[in-house]
Amino acid sequence: MKSRNRTLTILVVLTLIVLTIAYVLPVYVVLVTSLKTPAEISQRQYLLLSSNLQFKNYAQAFKLILPALLNSTIITFSVTALCTLVGGLGGYYLSRTRTRFSMVLFVMVGVAMYLPYQVILIPLVQLMAKTGLALTHLGLIGSNLILNIPLASVLMGTFFLGIPRELEEAAEVDGASKIHIFFRVISPVAFPAYVSVIIIIFTQVWNEFLLALTLATPRTQTIQLKLTEIKGTFVALYNLQMAAALITLIVPLVFFLALSKYFIKGILAGALKG
Amino acid sequence: MRLSLILTDSQECFTFLWPCVKMHYTQNGIVVVRRKKTVRSKYTFIEFLIFKFPLMFFVGLLYGMLGWTIVVSFTNWHGTAPNYDFAGFKWYRLMITLDRFHVDVANNLKWLSLGVIPTVILALFIAYLLELGSFRRLESYIRTLILYPVAMSFIVTGTIWSWMLDPDKGVFNTILRGVGLDFLQGRFTTNPSTATYWLILIFVWQYLGFSVIILQSSLRTAELREMTESALIDGASRLRILLQIIIPNIRSGLLILISLLLISTLKVFDIVYIVTFGGPGTATDVLAFYMLLATFQQHLVSLGAGIGVVIFLLAASIVIPYTIYAFKKWFD
Repeated sequence: MKSRNRTLTILVVLTLIVLTIAYVLPVYVVLVTSLKTPAEISQRQYLLLSSNLQFKNYAQAFKLILPALLNSTIITFSVTALCTLVGGLGGYYLSRTRTRFSMVLFVMVGVAMYLPYQVILIPLVQLMAKTGLALTHLGLIGSNLILNIPLASVLMGTFFLGIPRELEEAAEVDGASKIHIFFRVISPVAFPAYVSVIIIIFTQVWNEFLLALTLATPRTQTIQLKLTEIKGTFVALYNLQMAAALITLIVPLVFFLALSKYFIKGILAGALKG
Repeated sequence: MRLSLILTDSQECFTFLWPCVKMHYTQNGIVVVRRKKTVRSKYTFIEFLIFKFPLMFFVGLLYGMLGWTIVVSFTNWHGTAPNYDFAGFKWYRLMITLDRFHVDVANNLKWLSLGVIPTVILALFIAYLLELGSFRRLESYIRTLILYPVAMSFIVTGTIWSWMLDPDKGVFNTILRGVGLDFLQGRFTTNPSTATYWLILIFVWQYLGFSVIILQSSLRTAELREMTESALIDGASRLRILLQIIIPNIRSGLLILISLLLISTLKVFDIVYIVTFGGPGTATDVLAFYMLLATFQQHLVSLGAGIGVVIFLLAASIVIPYTIYAFKKWFD
């Protein structure tokens, strides 16, 4: 029994070391490099912290990506808000009705959740170009909305399924309308679910790249697109590239670190029930 | 009728979801627990507009566009102006003669197998290891450690890793040179024959934490714990417990994880775009990337649509069984 425990301990320690190196090293090097001057980087002491921290790299990177940051903020906030609303309403309908139509719709929404974006890209671009929406933020907002509503509906639907119907029945006896029940009875109870869905959708839209690549104009360029542009333009300036990458990452990362419980709940709900 | 609400934090229905609400109707001191009853599905017109219509509209749009893509793949649309003349299987026939298409399919198969199998095995190993010892404090450390890439976009990951893997100025080779392990240096993503494998490694790195989380949630059931404990008392080795008790009992969790990873690897495009742009040559090209190039760069829109349809068919063969399975589980 004792030797068994020892091998287990060795295994755990080994795994721990390997994982720590694999997951801390990239972030550490990126962070350290983002605070160096190009001359220091060319010395190839990637693991050493610079003695003279260059915080102005961040100022420079921030200035570069500020317009894209604003675009991404506008797009992501609008999509998240609309998606959560439509997804909540639709998910409520899906979880509370058992007609043949609602079942078929449910399966269709479930399949749509995993539709590869490439499959609808050509009509989407046509649609956005024809309606002129592609010229404004509305193009990317609309496209992201179409692609994320199935996910939001399924996530909200699964959460609503976990809320027993007795709660609504009591309100129904009192003569409350469905709208009243949804906003006043169910939604407050489902508050944590909303938090999870908001985080998941926000991260997804913030990190979205394919739609931005095909639909964004210079005026609506998103942050992910800007990052690829920076990588292509400032080829050897790793300090700037890495600072820009970290700024791009910081918003979803803060969400993840501050609300990891909801983040994990959202991931699991999307995975295990949809 | 007096009502009294008792809210309990019960774990039984949806373990990881919102606390279940149990309701008791007290009538003259007798506690009556109401049975489940299906809610009537009568919607007034206004309620229809609010609840059903937006969802139906967007989902309809999505499927409409899917149909539109399928139609485009059978037309003769090349160049920038839409052309809906029927061309039959012309573009599909062209597609299967293209060398690039063959490279793409081979690469996609590499992604589907090597992006999924090692991830699942590694995740199972880590999840089981965390289960074996009771390292409560260690666990939250490991969780944060390997899960943070979930918040990252492939573009950020790709930007970071393409520098890590750069053969000349890259972090890996520089460190290897620094510690005198020169022979371990590699050409990574610039070597056509191994480039795809390095891209897949980035994917595995990013999805490992996600996989561990999903497996952990199916490992943590009371029955499984009891079974493992009694097997341990009977003197079974931990490896045998893993193979004969745990793996058969978390089949559904494994199935879900594998499906999700398969779909993700099929959709992979961002990593290829940012790290190698399909190169060197077309060595790391995948269907999702070529679809984009064919449509928006070569302006062979019908060919692009055809590749899109191929991607869709591959995805559907994974997604539809998975969705039906999940749906059944859902309504049980």
